[in-house]
Amino acid sequence: MDRKWELDEATTVTAHFGWFGKKVIDVNGRKAYDARKYTRKREIEFAMPDGRPGLLSVNPEFIGRPTVHLRVGGNLVVETPKKAITCESCSAVAKPYDKFCGKCGKPMPTAQDYELRGNVSSATNAIKALAVLFILGGLLMFAVTKSQTDAALTRIQAMQDDATYPKQIQGRTYKVGELRKELEWEPWGVLSINLVLAAIMIGLAIWARRAPLPAVLIATATYVVLIVANGISDPRSLAQGWIIKLIVIAFLIKGIKAALALRDARA
Amino acid sequence: MQCPACQRQVRSGTQFCPGCGQNLAAPAPVVVGMAAVGDAAAVTQAVEMTITRAPRFVQHWEELKRLAWIFGLFLAISFAFGIAWRSVHSPWLDVAATAAQALVVLVAVGSRYPKLAFLFRFHPATFRDALILVAISAVFVALATWYFQLLAYFGVPIYTATALFTAADWPLWSIFLLVSLAPAVLEELAFRGVIQSSLERMLNARDAWLIQAALFSVLHLHPLIFPSHFLMGLCFGYMRRRSRSIYPGMLLHACWNALVVLQELTA
Repeated sequence: MDRKWELDEATTVTAHFGWFGKKVIDVNGRKAYDARKYTRKREIEFAMPDGRPGLLSVNPEFIGRPTVHLRVGGNLVVETPKKAITCESCSAVAKPYDKFCGKCGKPMPTAQDYELRGNVSSATNAIKALAVLFILGGLLMFAVTKSQTDAALTRIQAMQDDATYPKQIQGRTYKVGELRKELEWEPWGVLSINLVLAAIMIGLAIWARRAPLPAVLIATATYVVLIVANGISDPRSLAQGWIIKLIVIAFLIKGIKAALALRDARA
Repeated sequence: MQCPACQRQVRSGTQFCPGCGQNLAAPAPVVVGMAAVGDAAAVTQAVEMTITRAPRFVQHWEELKRLAWIFGLFLAISFAFGIAWRSVHSPWLDVAATAAQALVVLVAVGSRYPKLAFLFRFHPATFRDALILVAISAVFVALATWYFQLLAYFGVPIYTATALFTAADWPLWSIFLLVSLAPAVLEELAFRGVIQSSLERMLNARDAWLIQAALFSVLHLHPLIFPSHFLMGLCFGYMRRRSRSIYPGMLLHACWNALVVLQELTA
């Protein structure tokens, strides 16, 4: 994992994190730190060429890759992203260390803002992933349910609609006609429920661009409610795929926190 | 090229200094010692912003957590009684669920009554306001009826709330009390009272209105009725916002529930 920070026109800091705990920090191509150990609180202290103290802190996250912060002289530095940074107002290309846009003079976001936006974007991606999962899951479950209900319909094909089905289903006695109707509806019900949920998630992912906090809040509530609703209809489902569920919820909660912090910062 | 205000080297072709935001086309206001003054001012501003922003974020995050508790308790009650429902089919379960919800709502309303007191007062309304509320009620009833007819047209099996009470020979007044009146009062207190008011203090009125409607719809657990209940949440939320009281929404909610009960009983 390599990270890069441009402090100004003349100073660039790069950090390389190896597989077995090796950490190398270069300042303008010259090694400032090369070791396998951390100091207190997973922090690495080093000196900049102009004498300012540099501090690289690595904070492992519950979900996702660790957060790496570089502070020079106590100030958080904006990490150089892969894509060029542009001004939100005039779309002019800017440098990570610019505090103001060189073209329109509007203030550029701070390092903390960029980090919060990254978390919001992860939450939005989680919403998109949920939408795709609902579509794929819906199609798969439709196919499985259809084959099961078709087999069941074949078994009751010879029975009259007004006859009573001999066995109780989930503690209820059914007329054959009523049962046939429910069996015919079952696969379509599964498909339409999943498509409605996918549509909701797509809508929320689009809305998250304009209003991240409400969108991520609603997506989280919807997802948690679905887990509970599935748990009511089949309690075993609570234990299924719980790692994925936890990861998605963690991303969404992190997104809520970041969106709230961003909103408060803009207020 | 050098910025006259902060003496920073500036890329040629830029109109504003990326370091201090100085308009490079305009003459520099102060030259001697400006860099130090500007930096100090920026640092002071940053510190002030950090000091003022942090408590707001903490307050909002705590408020969100409190709302999550209310929502979570409602969900937990639905889950517990949904699971119990699988083995026990008795109207007393509904009574117990309503009592548990009432307890949560009363504690939530009681703990923040001073902030919610305005919702329990009657505010004089103009003829125009009254007309708008009546029009909204009419549009809501028409749209919700149309949506449920659409579901029925596609053969979607819809849960009947009264079947259990009639099967157990419970008197009519108890059905209206438990299916029509109690949910209307409790849900309006929880969603339009506590949740919408808390969200309005954190977000803008429009976002608060949308979020409470979404939470109200997802808490009904069935994805196919999310759209209709989202519409309900929007209508009741708008009525509460327009009238600054929860009574009109409560009345419409109870009337709608009563209509559903009547329809089920006559069918």
